[in-house]
Amino acid sequence: MIRKIYRLWPQRGLLLRIWSLTAALAVLQGLLLGLLVPILRALLRPEPDFAAATPWLVAGAVGLVLHQVLFVLSTPVEFGAGTKLAAQLRHHLMRQVTTLPLGWFTTERKAEFARTVTSVVGTLAPLTVLVGGPAITGVVLPLTVTAVTFAVDWRLALVLLGTLPLAVLALRRSRRIVAEVSVDMEVAGNEVAGRTIEFGQAQPVLRAAGHGSTGGARMRAALDDHCGRSLRALDRMLFPDLSYSGIVMAGYVLVLVLALQFLFTGTLSAPDTVALLVLVVRFLESLGGMIDHASGIGAMDYLADRVEEVRHVPALPRAARPVRRVDRADIEFSDVTFRYERGRPALSGVSFRCRPGTTTALVGPSGSGKTTVIRLIARFFDVDSGSVRVGGVDVRDLDHDVLLGEIAIVFQDVYLFDTTIEENLRVARPDATDADLAAAARAARLDEVLDRLPDGWRTRVGEGGHQLSGGERQRVSIARAFLKRARVVLVDEAASALDPENESAVNDAIAALAEDPERTVIVIAHRPTTLTSADQVIALDAGRVVETGTPAELRDTGGTFARIYHQYENARSWRISS
Amino acid sequence: MTTNTARADVSPTVDDQRKQSPDEEVPQLIGIGATARLLRPVWPHLIACATFSAVAAAAGAVPFVAIAEISRVLVTEGTEAASATVWAWAGAGAACAWLRLLLLGLSTHVGHKADTQLVRHLRLRIVRHLGVVPLGWFRAVGSGRVKKAVNEDLEAMHELVAHAVGGLVGAVTSILVGVGYLVSVDWRMALVTLAVPALGVLSYRWGMRSLSAQIPRLLAAESQISAASVEYVDGISVVKTFGGGGGGRVLDRFADAVREHVAAHNAWLAGVRASSMLNRALGSELTVLAVVLAAGLGFVGAGWLRFPDVLPFLVVGIGLPTSFGPVLHGAHGVRMARVAAGSIERLLAQEPLPEPANPRRPTGHRVELDRVTFSYDGVSNAVEEISAVCEPGTVTAIVGPSGAGKSTLASLVPRFYDVTGGAIRIGGVDVRQMSSATLLSSMSLVFQDVVLLRDTVRENIRIGRPDATHEEVLQAAKAAQVHDVIERLPHGYDTMLGTGESGLSGGEQQRLTIARAILSGAPIVILDEATASLDPDSEAAVQQALTELVAGRTVLVIAHRLHTITAADQILVLDRGRLVETGTHQELLARNGLYARMWRAQRNGDNA
Ligand SMILES: Nc1ncnc2c1ncn2[C@@H]1O[C@H](COP(=O)(O)OP(=O)(O)OP(=O)(O)O)[C@@H](O)[C@H]1O
Ligand SMILES: Nc1ncnc2c1ncn2[C@@H]1O[C@H](COP(=O)(O)OP(=O)(O)OP(=O)(O)O)[C@@H](O)[C@H]1O
Ligand SMILES: [Mg+2]
Ligand SMILES: [Mg+2]
Repeated sequence: MIRKIYRLWPQRGLLLRIWSLTAALAVLQGLLLGLLVPILRALLRPEPDFAAATPWLVAGAVGLVLHQVLFVLSTPVEFGAGTKLAAQLRHHLMRQVTTLPLGWFTTERKAEFARTVTSVVGTLAPLTVLVGGPAITGVVLPLTVTAVTFAVDWRLALVLLGTLPLAVLALRRSRRIVAEVSVDMEVAGNEVAGRTIEFGQAQPVLRAAGHGSTGGARMRAALDDHCGRSLRALDRMLFPDLSYSGIVMAGYVLVLVLALQFLFTGTLSAPDTVALLVLVVRFLESLGGMIDHASGIGAMDYLADRVEEVRHVPALPRAARPVRRVDRADIEFSDVTFRYERGRPALSGVSFRCRPGTTTALVGPSGSGKTTVIRLIARFFDVDSGSVRVGGVDVRDLDHDVLLGEIAIVFQDVYLFDTTIEENLRVARPDATDADLAAAARAARLDEVLDRLPDGWRTRVGEGGHQLSGGERQRVSIARAFLKRARVVLVDEAASALDPENESAVNDAIAALAEDPERTVIVIAHRPTTLTSADQVIALDAGRVVETGTPAELRDTGGTFARIYHQYENARSWRISS
Repeated sequence: MTTNTARADVSPTVDDQRKQSPDEEVPQLIGIGATARLLRPVWPHLIACATFSAVAAAAGAVPFVAIAEISRVLVTEGTEAASATVWAWAGAGAACAWLRLLLLGLSTHVGHKADTQLVRHLRLRIVRHLGVVPLGWFRAVGSGRVKKAVNEDLEAMHELVAHAVGGLVGAVTSILVGVGYLVSVDWRMALVTLAVPALGVLSYRWGMRSLSAQIPRLLAAESQISAASVEYVDGISVVKTFGGGGGGRVLDRFADAVREHVAAHNAWLAGVRASSMLNRALGSELTVLAVVLAAGLGFVGAGWLRFPDVLPFLVVGIGLPTSFGPVLHGAHGVRMARVAAGSIERLLAQEPLPEPANPRRPTGHRVELDRVTFSYDGVSNAVEEISAVCEPGTVTAIVGPSGAGKSTLASLVPRFYDVTGGAIRIGGVDVRQMSSATLLSSMSLVFQDVVLLRDTVRENIRIGRPDATHEEVLQAAKAAQVHDVIERLPHGYDTMLGTGESGLSGGEQQRLTIARAILSGAPIVILDEATASLDPDSEAAVQQALTELVAGRTVLVIAHRLHTITAADQILVLDRGRLVETGTHQELLARNGLYARMWRAQRNGDNA
């Protein structure tokens, strides 16, 4: 257990120092308490013998000063250690998470990871210091006291020694149950919390149905269920806790009765009995006090497992000698097959090639694998078979940072950081000049938005960008991609939320990007506008390439592309009318 | 007249929202009174828990007193004479040890009960409150706040109720009993013994004074860390592709927050260095031991005391500092719970959407916009002075450049926000004078962001009309062109949705919400870009579904693809929050204004 906690921390020196000091101090404390035996022996005679007590008193005074000096000097180190450890572990986890394949980040895992970095580490680090120290003392001090007792009366010492393993067993059980219960409670708690949030989001529909503020029977049932379950869970911890205290208490009763028995049968002197009883009280208090930390230890166990889980996610495999240069922005898929964790293959046997200076349009029905193609180019996932090459090099052999440095993506689902518009753009290029920013904004038609908003570049976009309109959000995301000036530009449904004028302006800007002979552009779009201006169209259906060619060629073949094209024409003639 | 009053009530709320949002997360301690208010429903339990805990602590002191008394009696009266008293004390000690165990169990159980009930009670309150806050609030800032309140804050309250209260009362009681016993032995020695840990507590309190000043800084740093890490993983694809592999600026923000946290903690530590060292020295049992021995020997030397009377101080007195620990930690728990209580209180204090005292019912479903003005920030208007009438049985289209205020206007009708000027009337009644249930049940909303509940497909469709039969659900799904898709799911209409891998594509989810709207049968329909990002296949199917939905209703539709609304009865053209043109497609083309320009832009694009 101690080992598990210890291993968790990236830099262990600090913890090692603190813990060894704690153990040494506990031994010293036990020995100092042991000095009470000769002192009391001398002083409890019918005529107190101060002279006999003096050397022990002096030794005690020296030991005490030594102990207190060390103890006091270690205080600031120990107090600061919790935060320091938390900071180290947080940095470590954050750095590690950047090495994980993007495919790892499902909604649940994202939430889980954020919780680990914040509240789990935030609780675990101080616990390691606050509970780890007392736990060490709680074991070492009773052991030392037992050793001292052996020197006085081995029979009582054996009783004390016998209590220890029982206590440790009980504590271990308690720890296990706390950890189990924590998992239970977490699951139950998350369930209810999730329901509550969902409940808030579904308010319009619920209010319309008259369930706005009750949440209906379902919500109430979830709450009652959680209430019952957590009460049962909490009470499960009660028994092991009490049985631990029971063992310590039984030790108390046994030692007391035996000591008195020995005293009255004359095998133990009165001063020794008193001295031992005083020592035994220290033993029991220190051992019994451990129960206050039992839940802390159990919690640590559980929390440490949570951190371990995250630490053991395999990182994106790195090539032994990664290539650090991309010569040409040339993209090539050869016979690529890929499936997500579950389900049928999202892509099978896909091959195509995109040359620098050209624009490729990906078309296909919803779910055909268009977005997946883009994800594989950026190596969010690794292919199951076949290969994806950028600049002639397999993306698995490229340094991932170098690869990503060459790519700008406009994502289908826009994500903005809760900060200013300017910061959201600068993410792409921290050293961009104001002129660069202005140029990117102009190309993405963001300039019109900036003029309109009272705070301009400094406008805060709100949580998830929700203080901007749909089209404004999308333009920030496009401008961000433009600002990066990457050689590979991947555009997933860029203009879906834009009005006609802005849409055609943005499409022109994307077309202009491809005029750079160094640059390769891939766009996913449904509108004929974008499709017909592409140099090459790749039509996907159910994860397979069904057609490749220029738009003009494909329009007349009667294949998928033609079907999509005509469907669009049909949709265009559709009207909402009363 | 009433309209005016309502308006005066409403504007500050909206105003506050925007102003609050940048620094709303700065957590603060709230008064004990407010914490106690939140705890009110579990008072009886808490009192029982505290009482059991106090009696348990008192009983727990007896075994130690027993050993002290046994030692004293043995030395003063001699082994033989003391035998009866000694065994009596031993029996009392053993009995009380078991009594303590029993009471401790009871106290903990009651504490747990109080805890679970409090959590349930607070959750219900939060849920009930979510049902009355303005819908727009939830949309804008609410979800993160609610998440924090129902997760972390409730956890902190749990700590208080389940552990801190019982622990605190128990520790205080054992100190009182211990001190009482020592005073009965010798008050002067008792004073000396108590002085050591008491000074320790004083120095602790002195040190903690500066913590109160640092708490906001520490908590602010913590919420920064939390925000930065959530943002980092939520936006991980953006972070990676744009920030370089190292994570770039977003990771810097996280690192800064962590650094700030350490700095804040160190600043506090620097302030309490001396006091904490003092507190640790004074709170150590070895210090008490030394003081007791020294004072005891002194007192014995001075003839004030016999040495055996020092023994109780060695047995019971040394244990005193151990009891002070929980007092201090309990106090810390209470403080954290007060912070949490503060943030729960603030959530619950979020101004509810004003409900009319005497709700009126509309006659008919004519939607009337009367000089509607709305501002998010109280400075600039997102929509301004918009007037229009939408008759039942007609389609009104709202078009205009992105950011013109279309979505804003649409969200004012169901009162996501309340207008800051003018009025919206349905069937002649101001929407603010209708109960929310009446208002919302009169309309179907289909927005771009689909909300699916973690429930079966069937329940998701009939959420707005829970009494609908399976046959009706089926009809609605067929009308929304989504029946075939549902049939193909592993468990058909009983498939669970919303668990992340629901297996429905965006277009299918959208059709599901349309089925929901069809089933609800509401006479007013509001569509905000219901088909914007769909591929032609899905779009065709969704449009089929919409045709079904709009028949014979009052329809408001927002669209960027102008060809879909050319047949609308009237088209409102918005630009920068203002209504710049109104008319039919033909009339607007003839005017050759903004609409005509947009129309040409789209035509050109499509025929390129
Ligand atoms: N993260 C994921 N986990 C599991 N399956 C996924 C995931 N993302 C996509 N899929 C599945 O992979 C297939 C291809 O999806 P992809 O997102 O590439 O389609 P698309 O062509 O981009 O569709 P759309 O036009 O709707 O965006 C679909 O069957 C989809 O359900
Ligand atoms: N929650 C909000 N808080 C503050 N400002 C907002 C909020 N939502 C929108 N705005 C601002 O109000 C204005 C109108 O936004 P709205 O969403 O109504 O536009 P829209 O016409 O629907 O645009 P789009 O076609 O891009 O969706 C925009 O300038 C936007 O930045
Ligand atoms: Mg896609
Ligand atoms: Mg909008």
